[in-house]
Amino acid sequence: MKRPVRVGAGEKLVLTANRLLDGTIVWRDRLGRWRPVIGAAEKLDAERVGDVLELAQIRAQEDGVVGVYEVAVRDVDPPEPVTVRERIRAHGPTVHPEFAVETVQ
Amino acid sequence: MSVPVGHYQYDQIDRDFLEARIAEFSEQVARRIDGSLSEDEFKPLRLMNGLYLQLHAYMLRIAIPYGTIDSKQMRMFAHIARHYDRDYGHFTTRQNIQFNWIKLEETPDILRDLATVDMHAIQTSGNCIRNVTSDEFAGAAADELVDPRVHAEILRQWSTLHPEFTFLPRKFKIAISGSPHDRVAARFHDIGILARPGDDGRTVFRIFVGGGLGRTPIIGQEIFDSVPEERLLATLEAIVRVYNAHGRRDNIYKARIKILVQALGIDAYREAVEAELAQMDLEHYRLTPEMVDAIQARFAVPELSAPENAAQELANRQRENPEFDLWVRSNTHPHREAGHIIAVVSLKPAGGIPGDATSAQMDRLADLADEYSFGELRITHLQNIVLGHVRQDRLYDLWSSLKEVDLASANIGLIGDIVACPGLDYCALANARSIPIAQKLGARFGDASLQAEIGALRINISGCINACGHHHAGHIGLLGVDKRGEEFFQITLGGRAENGASIGTILGPALPEDDTVDAIARLVDRYLGIRKDGETFLDTLDRLGDAPFKEAAYETV
Amino acid sequence: MRLFELGERTAKVHESLVTLPELAENTDVRAVLLDIADDPAALKPYLNRLELVVLRFPIFRDGRVFTQARELREYLRFSGEIRAEGHVLPDQAAFLKRCGVDSVVLPEGSDPELWKRQLDRFPVAYQRSVLPSRPVGAGLRIEEET
Repeated sequence: MKRPVRVGAGEKLVLTANRLLDGTIVWRDRLGRWRPVIGAAEKLDAERVGDVLELAQIRAQEDGVVGVYEVAVRDVDPPEPVTVRERIRAHGPTVHPEFAVETVQ
Repeated sequence: MSVPVGHYQYDQIDRDFLEARIAEFSEQVARRIDGSLSEDEFKPLRLMNGLYLQLHAYMLRIAIPYGTIDSKQMRMFAHIARHYDRDYGHFTTRQNIQFNWIKLEETPDILRDLATVDMHAIQTSGNCIRNVTSDEFAGAAADELVDPRVHAEILRQWSTLHPEFTFLPRKFKIAISGSPHDRVAARFHDIGILARPGDDGRTVFRIFVGGGLGRTPIIGQEIFDSVPEERLLATLEAIVRVYNAHGRRDNIYKARIKILVQALGIDAYREAVEAELAQMDLEHYRLTPEMVDAIQARFAVPELSAPENAAQELANRQRENPEFDLWVRSNTHPHREAGHIIAVVSLKPAGGIPGDATSAQMDRLADLADEYSFGELRITHLQNIVLGHVRQDRLYDLWSSLKEVDLASANIGLIGDIVACPGLDYCALANARSIPIAQKLGARFGDASLQAEIGALRINISGCINACGHHHAGHIGLLGVDKRGEEFFQITLGGRAENGASIGTILGPALPEDDTVDAIARLVDRYLGIRKDGETFLDTLDRLGDAPFKEAAYETV
Repeated sequence: MRLFELGERTAKVHESLVTLPELAENTDVRAVLLDIADDPAALKPYLNRLELVVLRFPIFRDGRVFTQARELREYLRFSGEIRAEGHVLPDQAAFLKRCGVDSVVLPEGSDPELWKRQLDRFPVAYQRSVLPSRPVGAGLRIEEET
């Protein structure tokens, strides 16, 4: 299931996945490590994302992650996803404020 | 407590089987972790054991066959909520329970814990025959012809790791009812079965095929009017075999049996099934009376006895306490036995999340089941809990206890009894959140007297076209759609799942969340203004059509 | 090609394997490869000379193979060898055997130990299959001959 990601003005892309062992949402940082906060994510330009994504998908098993894909974000710190779905992934379910996820470490 | 009332009692052989299944799954998990199973291969295997990967974590759906559990099993859910999840669980429209914050590496442990109370997650997902659902008032309702749970158990066993039907084109759902009042939505299932007593003292089955909601809602059609008990399994084998051989596998949205039945027509489908039956060795598939009786013998029956004045006691309490009276009117159903009553505990508190229960509530419900209903609980397809055999003179005490744990909402079958899928807050497929709008509607119509005045009215909310919230079948249905990254809701009116099932029709353009809540409030006001005496919402809608409601809903837009 | 035997029958290697349309003109051929969309009933005229029917999984999720095997065994009373090949998982071993499949062409890298373990996994079954069986107590449960 590949959804095309459109990148608008002032937007970048970050890579995300779920951790295989516990399902935790993770974001890929500059060093290729998978981190549980979106604030750690490396912001990529549309031109670069293809190569980085391909590499990350090849390494997914080794890195212990599953379902790697790219997410459009506003180019702010910490990055803020453009869609409701990805905002919910980054921040936690809206119906349980007590489960809110930190966005910076 | 000895033998459980209302569900099949496992023996050592059943437990050994379950243990083998857990060992199998544990090895599959290990092979996934070490990389010898790819995610594409592992996914169908984990799904057929109830394990999804959702937005935030893994989700485990545990089977509650025909929706019936005992208090020990309910306490096990509380344990799982506390130890492996975030202290709550979610009861589903298919009478199961799911936990939202599960870790893959802990699932074998969870399954082993579940097995200590004869429970599992087998076939709660995947393209196989799913956990069989049944009437939440089975064995208790005054209007019942046959207790369908014995045959539901037979179907559970027959479908468990069925060698031929574990890799079907798509999921396959069976529901069975034994009452003329269809409480299982038989005609919205892949196979819907209505059981009735036959002349020979055995059970006879009327069978519907090809119903379903989802992207293409279709009402099931009758394939056979009177299947004798001994032919039940052969007939189901034949129906599913035709589907497995000919169902579409090229397009996930056209893979359900309903699409095949539509494509062939019900008569051609019936002919295909009869052609299978003609070639089958029917003796090989015969469901003998001895088999049925042996399984029936594993169900304990509650020993009911109530004092002569039980009904009078209840009536007195209702007179004394109007709040209790309101609850009795909405949250109970007549029992077949004098002096008894069926109580429905609402999991829809005003402003709450429909179908969620905390571990403390589960523990309390287990205690109350022991105290008032032979330790038996049922999960309804509207995500509530039933205590099936309550003495009428003790109902007031039960209600008082429920009030203490915030489980006494008087709204069963009323506008506050909202069915909502998990939506975008949890689900990887959703387009919109279902729970927040359910909470807003629930709060808006929270007042018990207001709900009683509005009368029978079902709201169903789905966060995407897959329709897990059954919006097509809601008197008022809401479908979440994504409009340029924003959540909008499409309103449908006139759906119903009961006898005379029909699919709701779209009222007009989709609205943003808050506007939708306001539109529904206006629509309900309009209904209150134009209804005749004794009319339900559906009656008024059937009489006048949707024009007045459309006008009200879109008044300010 | 590594063959794994699911039951007693010894898997036999055949020199030539033809498709269903080729079967009519190759009168000396004893082995046929059925396409996933083929109806096993089309084999009816050839059953007497056929010794092997190979069923092919395009992907392990395509369960039509199971129905094809059962139709061969139950409707056509085919008594020769049925073999499965293609993308198939050890997790499907018992299902295949119970539907009448005798042998599997092991996919690249597939561990025969996993296949063996899967065959011995479940002590009982809850529904009849093509294998001979005896009831276990009263009810639906059966034990099958291995």
